[in-house]
Amino acid sequence: METMQASNSVSVVVCAAENLQPGQRKIAVVDGVEIAILNVDGELYAFRNRCPHQGVEMIYGTVSGTMLPSDPGEYIYGCDNQIVSCPLHGWEFDMKTGKSLFSSKVSVGNYEIQEIDGSIVLKVKREPKSVSLKNFRCSH
Amino acid sequence: METVLKENEVNQKVEKGLIDCDVHPYLADFNELIPYLEEGIQKHMNIGRFEKSMLSNMNAGAFTFPKARYANPNHVLRLDAITPEGGVPGSDPVFTAQDLLDKHQHTYGILNIGHGTMAGYHNVEIAAGYTSGSNDWLYDRWVLSDPRFKMTMSVTPVAPDLAIEEIKRIGHKPGIVGINLQCINIPLGKRHFWPLYEIAQEYNLPIVLHPDCEGTAEYAPPNAVGPASTYAEWHTSLSLIAQRQIASLVCEGVFEKFPNLKFNFIEYGFSWLPSLMWRLDKNWKALRSEMPWVKKLPSEYIRSNVRLGTQPIEESFHPKDIVQLIQMVKAEDMLLFASDYPHWDGDERDSAFLHFPDDLKQKIFYDNAKNSYRL
Repeated sequence: METMQASNSVSVVVCAAENLQPGQRKIAVVDGVEIAILNVDGELYAFRNRCPHQGVEMIYGTVSGTMLPSDPGEYIYGCDNQIVSCPLHGWEFDMKTGKSLFSSKVSVGNYEIQEIDGSIVLKVKREPKSVSLKNFRCSH
Repeated sequence: METVLKENEVNQKVEKGLIDCDVHPYLADFNELIPYLEEGIQKHMNIGRFEKSMLSNMNAGAFTFPKARYANPNHVLRLDAITPEGGVPGSDPVFTAQDLLDKHQHTYGILNIGHGTMAGYHNVEIAAGYTSGSNDWLYDRWVLSDPRFKMTMSVTPVAPDLAIEEIKRIGHKPGIVGINLQCINIPLGKRHFWPLYEIAQEYNLPIVLHPDCEGTAEYAPPNAVGPASTYAEWHTSLSLIAQRQIASLVCEGVFEKFPNLKFNFIEYGFSWLPSLMWRLDKNWKALRSEMPWVKKLPSEYIRSNVRLGTQPIEESFHPKDIVQLIQMVKAEDMLLFASDYPHWDGDERDSAFLHFPDDLKQKIFYDNAKNSYRL
């Protein structure tokens, strides 16, 4: 994997864009920290692979929408395909911000990610010493 | 204050042994039971060659397995436990051994069947036939597959005579470590259950109560005051059931009658224990004359005869407060580790007990279960 230094972040090429099609997921391991990377209908998201609650791997989490805060008795669905939930207890996180839906103080920790010139490029804070991809089981 | 882990912050220390008191095996398909069920039971349950698929989408007319009525809005089985072949979590003993027992270095994983709701079914003959068949399936497919798997045997609580027959049939088997009884609308302290307790004590098998039938089986009482509207309300109210059952056991004198019988309440949590003990003790001092067979403080009976699974562990505002709560009521010897794998509300040992002292973890992870199951 290549890295490129920018002003206050470092770009890490995770893989070729063709290897992360809509519906596909990757785990990048950057200096020992696992980062889940998802392509959801063409939108790219990257966040820490460990739930801040009990450390379960978020890569197995469901991507969906959720019921928005509402008045008693109302169900209003929203944020379609923007929410990832922990595969164990179901804690919900907004993939755009990394923040949990129940407290802005709790976050799964998200990363900037984009497609640049046919590559999936992740932004991290400092020059990594090691970067790799990790295999995982995923059948859903 | 939330309990939030830092990256890679896990408990690296390995305690001596780990007994997991709640692992759920699932049938991938009900037809797995066919070799274990008599034809009459198969016919009633419309499985195998007696399948009535034409009626499967009707709301009446064919047998339907008693399902839990409350639907988790997310998932009831953890999604990271889907098998490599895409199978139902908990349906493959080999993968479960790798994904749970190997990963967390289990000494034993005690299996409580994932389809327990049939035990409280209204037709007791069918309930008894089903529980026998499912016990045999569980023993053959799971317990014999790995010496670390042990199991509780299911019996129907509605008909103790049939339950006793089943205990006499298989209760001696070495892989069986407890009796899985379901909650019905007869409190556990009642004489209805006493013959069953007598044989359980004789076989040195604890009675295990685990949520399954609550709000589901026809004999199940509604949640204390009436049906809940949401899964969250239902799930949170489960802990009330354990409190109510323990009060019944104490006040009916079950622990005087069967002093060597343990009652393991799994998946009801435990942080409610102080209020139950304190209130029962207070009431006993004033109202002792209506239960003169209760000869010592209720909390003493509870401490000696009742065991509580830690899961789903309550998360106190300050993580260390839950440890103080245990010390407050001297419950160190009462708590049993339970992962509840592969259910959605399970606890990860490394993170859920991060603030527990080592000597307490040793008791919770191993010693207490060793002393309360037939292991």
